[in-house]
Amino acid sequence: MKLVLERFAHNALALLAVTTILFFMFRLMPGTPLAAYISENLNADQQQQILEQFGLDKPMWRQYLIYLGNLAHGELGLSFFQRRPVLAILLEVLPNSLILTLTSLTIAYIFGVLAGAWLAWRRGSWVEGVAIPVVLATRAAPEFWIGMVLLAILSFKFGWFPSGGASSPGMVYAGEWQRMFSLDYLHHLALPVFTLALYLQGLPLLLMRSNMLEVMHEEFVTMARMKGLSEWRIVIRHAARNAMLPVVTAFALGIGLSMGGNVVIETVFSWPGIGRLLVQAVANLDYPLAQGAFLMIAAVLAVMNFVADLLYMTLDPRVTHGRRG
Amino acid sequence: MSVPAILEVDNLQIHYRTREGVARAVDGASFSVPEGKIVGLVGESGCGKTTAVRAIMGVLAENGSRAGGRVVFQGKPIDAGNTRPLLWREIAYVPQSAMSSLDPVYTVGEQIVEVLTKRGGAARSAARARSAELFDLVGLSERRLADYPHQFSGGMRQRAAIAMALALEPSLLLADEPVTALDVIVQRQILDTLRELQQRLRLSMVMVTHDISVVAYLCDEIVVMYAGQVVESGPVREVLARPRHPYTMGLRNAFPDLVSDAMELVPIDGSPPDLRETLTGCRFAPRCPFVETACLSHALAPVTTGGHLSACRRDGEADALRAAALRPSTWLRP
Amino acid sequence: MAAAADLGPAVRRLVTMPLRDPFAFAGITIYVVFALVAVFADQLAPLDPLEILFTKAGKLAANVPPGPEFLLGTTNLGRDIYGELIHGTRSALAVGLSAAVVVATVGTVVGLVAGYFGGTIDSVLMRIADMALSLPFLPFVIVLTGFLGASTSNIVFAVALLLWPNSARVIRSQVLTLRERAYVEAARVTGASHWRILFVHIAPNILPLSFVYAAIAIGWAIVTEASVSFLGFGDSTSVSWGYMLQDAFSSQALSRKQYAWFVPPGVCIILVVVAGFFISRGYEEVFMPRLRGR
Repeated sequence: MKLVLERFAHNALALLAVTTILFFMFRLMPGTPLAAYISENLNADQQQQILEQFGLDKPMWRQYLIYLGNLAHGELGLSFFQRRPVLAILLEVLPNSLILTLTSLTIAYIFGVLAGAWLAWRRGSWVEGVAIPVVLATRAAPEFWIGMVLLAILSFKFGWFPSGGASSPGMVYAGEWQRMFSLDYLHHLALPVFTLALYLQGLPLLLMRSNMLEVMHEEFVTMARMKGLSEWRIVIRHAARNAMLPVVTAFALGIGLSMGGNVVIETVFSWPGIGRLLVQAVANLDYPLAQGAFLMIAAVLAVMNFVADLLYMTLDPRVTHGRRG
Repeated sequence: MSVPAILEVDNLQIHYRTREGVARAVDGASFSVPEGKIVGLVGESGCGKTTAVRAIMGVLAENGSRAGGRVVFQGKPIDAGNTRPLLWREIAYVPQSAMSSLDPVYTVGEQIVEVLTKRGGAARSAARARSAELFDLVGLSERRLADYPHQFSGGMRQRAAIAMALALEPSLLLADEPVTALDVIVQRQILDTLRELQQRLRLSMVMVTHDISVVAYLCDEIVVMYAGQVVESGPVREVLARPRHPYTMGLRNAFPDLVSDAMELVPIDGSPPDLRETLTGCRFAPRCPFVETACLSHALAPVTTGGHLSACRRDGEADALRAAALRPSTWLRP
Repeated sequence: MAAAADLGPAVRRLVTMPLRDPFAFAGITIYVVFALVAVFADQLAPLDPLEILFTKAGKLAANVPPGPEFLLGTTNLGRDIYGELIHGTRSALAVGLSAAVVVATVGTVVGLVAGYFGGTIDSVLMRIADMALSLPFLPFVIVLTGFLGASTSNIVFAVALLLWPNSARVIRSQVLTLRERAYVEAARVTGASHWRILFVHIAPNILPLSFVYAAIAIGWAIVTEASVSFLGFGDSTSVSWGYMLQDAFSSQALSRKQYAWFVPPGVCIILVVVAGFFISRGYEEVFMPRLRGR
């Protein structure tokens, strides 16, 4: 329990540090701090309102405290362009990003773990000689480029998938859930998910493979052989179970990391997620929206880091159960 | 020797393929284990003791293979193909380091239950009761069954490993340096436990060790291995009182407890040969204080005198050599 | 004297390693080829990559398919794609190498200092490293380049800012073990100063690790530059592979099936990044055998 609190504190502090960095980054941007918050197309009243809300007339440290206070209340300001609360905009697109990320990661990790274990088993064969460079190439390729190639072939050449967006024009749904489980949505989701999964599978695959190779040489695996346990049981219950530990952690970390990385995938496929929102906000110099989107991504990253810590603790008894003997 | 042998190893050859060529880790070793006796297998590290024991269980590293020889267990020849049904049910193993030999992500209890159910065919509830019994047998509290390996102390972990080895009531126990990693007091306790269990359960046992005092304390028979071969074997008392191979004489000098206190400990100079090279003559010759020119080219086939086997060309002069071996100066290289 | 003895083998292995590991050899070869292309870009592609080309009839040479005149065809604005690709090598290597130098230098110095001195300095540096690692990478680069201006140096700065912690951490842990070695102890006893021990006795043994992280940083920096350019925050004054991909994407090269426009830049990026993987893999095998995937 102490360990859980410790990890929580660690991640919370890291997030606080990120928000602090962000605060000063936006304040220290070229131009006056006001410029970062006030655009010319706001009238005097609105300007005054923002000045007060963010305490921009007060000294820096007061501003910082007000900023933190606003954050704690989920108050992220108004988007310059959409003239709507930033938080509302973010919450609108967040599910799209989460669905994209989670689906791709799940597919990538299931494939990666199985293929990695299989490649460990086929060590030294010609399969390995072909597979490893191919996997390395998928890790090396920019995500958006994989997306472009797949779009060009699967969408523009064969017309199997839509070329972008999350729904076909003119589609109307009774509610969010109906929309997300509609065939149209899934059809739009398929290609981005495939691209992201293709990019992401390399890490779990290589990790699983090298862990398996290492674990198969551990004494407890030899012992399992000496006990006469079946090969299947040795590989799955003992070797794979141990080799999985870092992979599971990498999965949780991957959610946070790929939320950030999705920026490009979402842009290629015009997927209405938080990454694309960030890009548009930065391009439009919509500071409150950009800051909010960035914070949201950083928050997901911090939460997932914490989840990864927790997962590691539950899966590896050496971490949770201290030495007693 | 009227006691029948439970295990006979005859001219065993184990080869490892390495980048630098084939290493003959075990090169024609022969010995047998009489039923209900403890046989000590001694030698420096790298002499093929562990490899020999693992080969008996048919579990070798990927690059290792049995290149020749016979292993006969309870009258039936066994090899990698037919050993598995015997594993743990008839032949069990106690590892040197129970820490790395137990799976870190399962409790010790779960691992014993696994063996009992998957190999012993027991129901889970029966297996749980049996594992409590086993823990009791080796002097551990059954509450510790719920603990993970890393929560045990070194000595307790070895006890847990012994409990695990005894789970299916094997008739032969292969123990590979089971006490080496422990401090002297705990060593003694574990050895006592092992001996008591061995007598109570009428186990036959092979005790692999580099420590000749462990053999003296525990074993009935001794097999001395050097560079993959057996150089001397026989009843412990006889061999240790009247060693006939210079290597055994040297080993005896290198450990306390055995000879008089006045005797200082003298290590044998040098190290065992590289087993990847083609070796001729007596393998101990380069380190032997009694070496003669002929030793370098001709090795003598082992000679057995009254159950005491030795493979030294100068076997006839054993008494004189033994007297010389007691002088530390004999072992000092010019 | 002792210093020379420490320095010798480490540096020698650094140089001879590629000859022993086929992967590292392939990686180095790829680097050398790209470096040559960058150096002789003007000879390989004499045309200015940004020049707008016209056909003999005086019409804009737009979307010309690959052929003998334009090896990879032209863009919708009549630019030579082959020329862009060749000249793009320069900016790729410039971004990659400068990021590698900064990452390796900062990572090595921080790792050395934190590992050797320990205590407060160590904890402060490592906390800063933790903080940098909890920043979302690409969004941070985008915000930075988007607001600070889209220049190559800003991209390098952002990449370096986010990549140094990894190398610093690993180097620190290596220093922790080196610190206890006999020859370091010997140097300490003979009264060598901290800085002397650090830079003469320990640093040379760390060099291979710095090299590994430099190789990794080259790839990261090039991919990051490409991503940032693709998103439209790139340096618009130079032609880079990322710029080409962005140009192709926004000019509907995908629907016009101009594969020769967007496939080659991606392949070049993959080659450079994979070369980095190969080299770091090779060095890890030689210098850190315990990491070897047995």
